[in-house]
Amino acid sequence: MALAVPPPSDRKRVKVYELRNNDWFDRGTGFCTGQIIEDEPRIFVESEDEPNRVLLETKITKDDGYQKQQETLIVWTEPNGTDMALSFQEAEGCAVIWDFVNHVQHHLLSMAAADDALSDDLESYQQIMLPSPELGNLPEIEQVMRAASVSQTGRDALSKYVIKDEYIAKLIPLVTMAEDLESLEDLHRLCNIMKSLILLNDNTIIESVVTDPIILGVVGALEYDPDFPTHKANHRQYLADQSRYKEVVPIKDPAIRRKIRCTWRLQYLKDVVLARILDDPTFSVLNSLIFFNQVEIVNHIQSNAPFLKELFAVFDPRNPDTRRKDDAVQFLHQCAAIAKNLQPGARATLFANFISHGLFAVIAFAVKHPSPAMRTTGIDILVALLDHDPVMMRGYMLKAVNEKKTPLTDTLIDLLHMETDLGVKNQLADAIKILLDPQIPLQDTMGRAGVEYFAKLRPSNLLSDAFVQNHFDESAKRLFQPLKRLEGRSSLHDLTFQEVSLYALLVDILTFFVRQHLFRSRNFIHSESLAPRVAQLLRVPQKHLKLTALKFFRTLISLQDTFYQALMTHNNTFGLILDIVHETMPRDNLLNSACLELFEFIKRENIKPFILHVVEKYREKLLAIHYVETFQNLILRYDQMQGYGATAEGDSALFSSQEEGTPVAAGRAQPNGGQRWQGAKEMDAAEEEYFNTSDDEDEVGLVVEYLSEQHGNESNFQTQWGPNTTAAAAPPIAASPTPNGSASPVVKPLVDYPDDDDEEVEDSMDVKEAEPAEKSGAPESDPSETTTAQTPPERLSEKRRREEEDEDELIKLTSVPKRRSSTSSHGSSTTSSGFMRRRKSLSIGPINVSEKASTTTTTTTTSSRTSVPPKRIAINLGSAAIKTASLETEPDSTKENQTGDGG
Amino acid sequence: MRKNGLTDRFFPGVTCRAIAQLRACRLIPEAQVRELCHKARELLIEEGNVVSVDAPVTICGDIHGQFHDLMELFRVGGDVPDTNYLFMGDFVDRGFYSLESFLLLLCLKVRYPDRITLIRGNHESRQITTVYGFYDECIRKYGSANVWRYCCEVFDYLALGALVLGASSALEPTSGTTTTTTTTTMATTTMIDDSELEIEVLNSKGDVTMSSHRPRRQHPSSDASTDSRNNNNNNNNNNNNIGAAPYRSGVPGTGASGDGGGSIGGSRTGAVLCVHGGLSPLIDTVDKIRLIDRKQEVPHEGAMCDLLWSDPDEIEGWGLSPRGAGFLFGGDIVKHFNYKNDLSLIARAHQLVMEGYKEMFDSGIVTVWSAPNYCYRCGNVAAGDYARSNGILGSNDPAADSSAVLSPGRRYRVFEAAAQDTRGMPAKKPVADYFL
Repeated sequence: MALAVPPPSDRKRVKVYELRNNDWFDRGTGFCTGQIIEDEPRIFVESEDEPNRVLLETKITKDDGYQKQQETLIVWTEPNGTDMALSFQEAEGCAVIWDFVNHVQHHLLSMAAADDALSDDLESYQQIMLPSPELGNLPEIEQVMRAASVSQTGRDALSKYVIKDEYIAKLIPLVTMAEDLESLEDLHRLCNIMKSLILLNDNTIIESVVTDPIILGVVGALEYDPDFPTHKANHRQYLADQSRYKEVVPIKDPAIRRKIRCTWRLQYLKDVVLARILDDPTFSVLNSLIFFNQVEIVNHIQSNAPFLKELFAVFDPRNPDTRRKDDAVQFLHQCAAIAKNLQPGARATLFANFISHGLFAVIAFAVKHPSPAMRTTGIDILVALLDHDPVMMRGYMLKAVNEKKTPLTDTLIDLLHMETDLGVKNQLADAIKILLDPQIPLQDTMGRAGVEYFAKLRPSNLLSDAFVQNHFDESAKRLFQPLKRLEGRSSLHDLTFQEVSLYALLVDILTFFVRQHLFRSRNFIHSESLAPRVAQLLRVPQKHLKLTALKFFRTLISLQDTFYQALMTHNNTFGLILDIVHETMPRDNLLNSACLELFEFIKRENIKPFILHVVEKYREKLLAIHYVETFQNLILRYDQMQGYGATAEGDSALFSSQEEGTPVAAGRAQPNGGQRWQGAKEMDAAEEEYFNTSDDEDEVGLVVEYLSEQHGNESNFQTQWGPNTTAAAAPPIAASPTPNGSASPVVKPLVDYPDDDDEEVEDSMDVKEAEPAEKSGAPESDPSETTTAQTPPERLSEKRRREEEDEDELIKLTSVPKRRSSTSSHGSSTTSSGFMRRRKSLSIGPINVSEKASTTTTTTTTSSRTSVPPKRIAINLGSAAIKTASLETEPDSTKENQTGDGG
Repeated sequence: MRKNGLTDRFFPGVTCRAIAQLRACRLIPEAQVRELCHKARELLIEEGNVVSVDAPVTICGDIHGQFHDLMELFRVGGDVPDTNYLFMGDFVDRGFYSLESFLLLLCLKVRYPDRITLIRGNHESRQITTVYGFYDECIRKYGSANVWRYCCEVFDYLALGALVLGASSALEPTSGTTTTTTTTTMATTTMIDDSELEIEVLNSKGDVTMSSHRPRRQHPSSDASTDSRNNNNNNNNNNNNIGAAPYRSGVPGTGASGDGGGSIGGSRTGAVLCVHGGLSPLIDTVDKIRLIDRKQEVPHEGAMCDLLWSDPDEIEGWGLSPRGAGFLFGGDIVKHFNYKNDLSLIARAHQLVMEGYKEMFDSGIVTVWSAPNYCYRCGNVAAGDYARSNGILGSNDPAADSSAVLSPGRRYRVFEAAAQDTRGMPAKKPVADYFL
């Protein structure tokens, strides 16, 4: 290929950006060259760090709309539709590459014109001339522009002409002229012309449109949209209003001031003036212009130390000007909002800069502001920081505690308790959740077993684990104080709206804590005896609060942890849950389904302590529920455990100690040879085997020791169950073992479901276990069917479209900052919440003092110590069943009618 | 029904005003949104995971914030208290007016709880809405994420599916003659002509520009196995007629799983299951959907995820979904599921179909799409060429027709995007003040 200019071979330092989801993604920094390989002109960018890695290799074609923006940017769209940008370190480098691209395109265009006799070479060669800008010429101008806009070459020629001739500026006077003449027709034409000019999608044109002398004329013309002949917008009035621009601290650099103004106008164009007519290319051109402007503005601000100093000085307590403070908060809020779009590195510097100047004081000021809107703004800034780097924020918080200052969390907690605006309250709760998130990187579950031992594994951690735990406990105590105060409350039918929302948020946070970290929450849940308080909430009339409380217990169950199991079996929790089932059945509703799911889970995961507890204690209740099979199956499962007891001996140890007055927790605490932990899914038999047999006793011992210290002595543990637990004091129940005695314990599929669903049986929900096999198995079994090759062409296109459109949905999510997942009230499923569930270590609960001595010995020893033959219990407690059952049926009839006062 | 009294007592005046305001594409104040979301929560918590809906009802697919097309849909299909609607999720994201669309639907739900049914789509989730526009729209229009939070809370309460039932007694042909006003005549005609499908294309004025009848057997069968399934199907039908299929008066789901899934119950008279995405390998009976605790963010796996994410595909059995969530499921799965659960049809949305609706697997499943000219502004390639039409599926009362015809009446109405001039000026609120 013969070119007038040689390809630029000296390397220009450049950043490569790619537009993904309307955000400019940084592909990396490298060196850019233009090359001609095999007669094809290309732009190459090689990585700076790894010289062999090619960041970008793109062929220059004649059709791609390369555009130079400002002095250092080249933007274009790849043939596959991706928007790309090269940001040069120096304007000179940009110019060289730009010349190269221009020459190549020019060359290609002339070649194409020569090759293709049919091509409209008139347009590609001839410059377009527009009639001189006069009112009388408007119809002609409109027509020429319309004709030229049809083809890319026409558009290019038109753009060139418009720029060269500064045509837009010449059109501007026509607007007022036409207005003076009240010629609506001309105004409509002018509007169309302006639209076409903007939609030419040329950066230079768009940049010039928002400059001071032109903007008002442009939007003036756009006020007369022929699509809405009876309407006239008032863009000029809006944009001309100088008072909209607020300067807390004057920005002195005129270039930046201009940039701020232009950016605002661009946004207004994008969001208001052109919102209805924008096509995709123009939309993204506007977006990237805005983006690059904002980067520059923010960079200017943070590098401007005197400015920052002055800005944060506004918050000096001696400053009486509250208005100015409010404005400054909003200014910072806007900075934070813009920062969200920046590259992580740039964002980190900006925030660090702000923080060093005293951003936390600003947040503290804002969150205590009398106006809810300002409080929201303050928390928004905080959330932006948390989204950016939660670990950093926790670091600051802990540092404050260490220095005996009031940490931000305490302020937030107090505010949460008092806040009346629900929106702010929600935000506060979310912020607290993130700040206190017990799952700290590098400081998780193992920490228990001995700080010294693990210290070397995390040398970067400055604060001791005990310190972190202590702070967590203190904060949690403060946070859950309102829940604790429920203890003395006899009736929950008079809760105020504020109380209901507060309890819902607190239980939600509690659930989050429990799920995030296995041990950290135990201390305060135990010492504050929160579980019975949450159980109380199962009886409130507000159903959504009931549901939240239920969710807490459902989470405890899924943890399969002896401590939490003991919490639930000591309590009348299951009785209350069954009450909800009774209340709601047989209607099909959310509460009912949530309860059913809970029991299905216990059955499916075969969580023996619960099956034993529930069936023994509530058999009567279970028997009365017929409308679903869940409860009969639960009883069946129990009877199987009793009757066909390969594991009966071990199991019996679990409940054999449940004689009157004997603490059940002791028996429950025994891991029972690992049998009970088989519930967690995603384990294959081999892994199971491994965990069952290789429990590291030393480790277990250590953990046990720690816990028993934490939980104090047995009597203490026993007394925590407030007044609401009368039923728990009664002995557990077991009715006669087999009501459906003849029923075969072997579950057999009634219907043979095809494929790999054989495990899916009619009368049990064992389906979960089939899942992993399916996920991996299915594609292997029908790889041919899933390919598109065999399908009709019509489907192919649809499939492709779908892939482009929707397939990326989850994939995109993975790249999304995880912030919003932390705000979700119940998060995603436990599997994705990312807490480290260690089966080996989770089997340890509170330990009875008398048992403590034996805990370091093997588990089998302890279970045999307490074991009593299973049959005896069944007989022993049979009569007690009726007694307790009658105790538990409490009137709940009033609940239904009171659901209405939620608003 | 039970809900009417509840909500009317609440705030009929406020709701009516809010409905009027939202219909004009004007937003209601944040405090009202909060109120509305709380009322909706009270209502939705009473709904089962699978809501029972009586025919006739008009079933609609994805809306995706295309408010003006939603209004067009109401205009073509009949307004809300007069026509019953079932929306199969994906109210938000992508379009310009997710808030207006969703809040209007929610308002209508609160005002006419038994007339309108909303089920959850995969876009009714926190994660998805932060990526696909709803979150940003809330921030832009209300200045903070509060409204987004309220809406997301409501999302968690939305039902996962719906079961469209015939009149309570199939043995009385006259009992359920109320068909959608717009469909009565035509539907009857088509039924007699022994074709079960009717397509109408309506232009923006609501005039029928094209209508056609499709005899059932002309469905192209994609492979050999379809034929055998067809035969099966015929046999079943015959059985049904002979056995006179006593129609269970309760929810078909409830009893079906116990007795082996409707070995007598005929698919012809069966219910229509509506879900956003499709089936799940973990769900073999409608009853099992009931055992899901749905009040949570849409998980990344499991039954609830699958219901909202899966797609039918021309495969056998189950396949991995290219979406990264849910599964692909083949005709055999659909056939089996419908048979076992006494369903005549699965109606779902979730996928763009050019024609507005698309039947698959011997009419065992239909995809309905209700966002014409999808993504008219989205940053997608060739967005303008996407579907220009959309479908509402109107399901006539199966029971009323069952004496004459074997099939439930299905009537697809396809309509074009709302005309440009009906859309009104875009009402995006500009930033009031700025610092940067």
